[in-house]
Amino acid sequence: MENKITVGIADMKMAQAHGMLITYALGSCIGICLYDQRIKLAALIHIMLPLNMEPGRKNTMKYADTGIRETLKMMESKGASRSRITAKIAGGAKMFEVSGGNLGNIGQRNIESVHMHLKREGIQLLKEDVGGSVARTLLFDPASGMACIRSYGRPEMII
Amino acid sequence: MTLKSYDQLSSLELDTLKEIGSIGTGNAATSLSALIGKPVRIQQPEVRIMEYNEAIEWIGGPEEITAGVLVGMSNQLSGIMLSVQQLDFVNLVLESMMEKRIADYMELGEMERSALTEVGNIMISTFINALSGLAGLDIELTVPAFTVDMQGAIMAVPMAEYGGQSNYIMTIGGNFICNGKEIPCRLLLSPDIRSLNFLLRKLGVNSGE
Repeated sequence: MENKITVGIADMKMAQAHGMLITYALGSCIGICLYDQRIKLAALIHIMLPLNMEPGRKNTMKYADTGIRETLKMMESKGASRSRITAKIAGGAKMFEVSGGNLGNIGQRNIESVHMHLKREGIQLLKEDVGGSVARTLLFDPASGMACIRSYGRPEMII
Repeated sequence: MTLKSYDQLSSLELDTLKEIGSIGTGNAATSLSALIGKPVRIQQPEVRIMEYNEAIEWIGGPEEITAGVLVGMSNQLSGIMLSVQQLDFVNLVLESMMEKRIADYMELGEMERSALTEVGNIMISTFINALSGLAGLDIELTVPAFTVDMQGAIMAVPMAEYGGQSNYIMTIGGNFICNGKEIPCRLLLSPDIRSLNFLLRKLGVNSGE
């Protein structure tokens, strides 16, 4: 694959017109592709948790709220326009079905938080593949605005 | 000093955790040996404090498919314990118990899945029993949960659960040796920070406040 740009956990990378953004093995985490079609500027964020409650709000890309907000700012400073930016998301699965105990359903909370913060920032959510119990690898092509999702035991999906 | 993050552990505290890992893994190996009817030895277990992305590289990359058994801990120690079962381990168990080998996880049927769940559960329970006896802690365990998927996403479960507290994950685990072959069975104990402090205090190596 040409020019693969890997996005780690709690990380964000941008690409314009070239290369392929990729983030691996999203479980309860969510991959958020933000895209300005006109200038072909794309950002892929790999968030892990719904809300940033750390003192000082560091680690912005670890959380849905600060991750989306910071990335939008960075895209705008590169010439993107808020009104043109659209989103595609994948992830938010529940990897283990644990009965009892105090393990929360982080995937579901992540989905709700991403929805809420995209809406709050006025970003249209075009497509999504979220929830369920399957891990996802997410690729985003800044040239076409297409996202591709790879999972185990499921055919590849284009959104 | 009360720890706020896993990367603040002193060398004495790390040594103590390594000892816990050694005793726990030893007990788990004994129970595995009884289940499969073969001698099982352990390698010196490791205690590792790793940044998320580093931890996923350590276990062999994010997209590799693996089986995982997860047990949640609560009461005086809360956290997660995982048994990450790579293909060599799966085949060791299936060959010994059911005279069967698989080349792909897709071949796992209901029987095989429940055997692997139970093996993981028994190893985790013996590990935790040893730990609770040693530290004098009451620990409750959930029913085991089983999945087959990308190991990056399986590893991310304890990371996300305690991700609000730290950018690091602590894992205690070791490899087994059976039939002269190294079997990468990874038992990963991930306590939350508060429980880790409590555990170290109970073991007398963290004076606390």
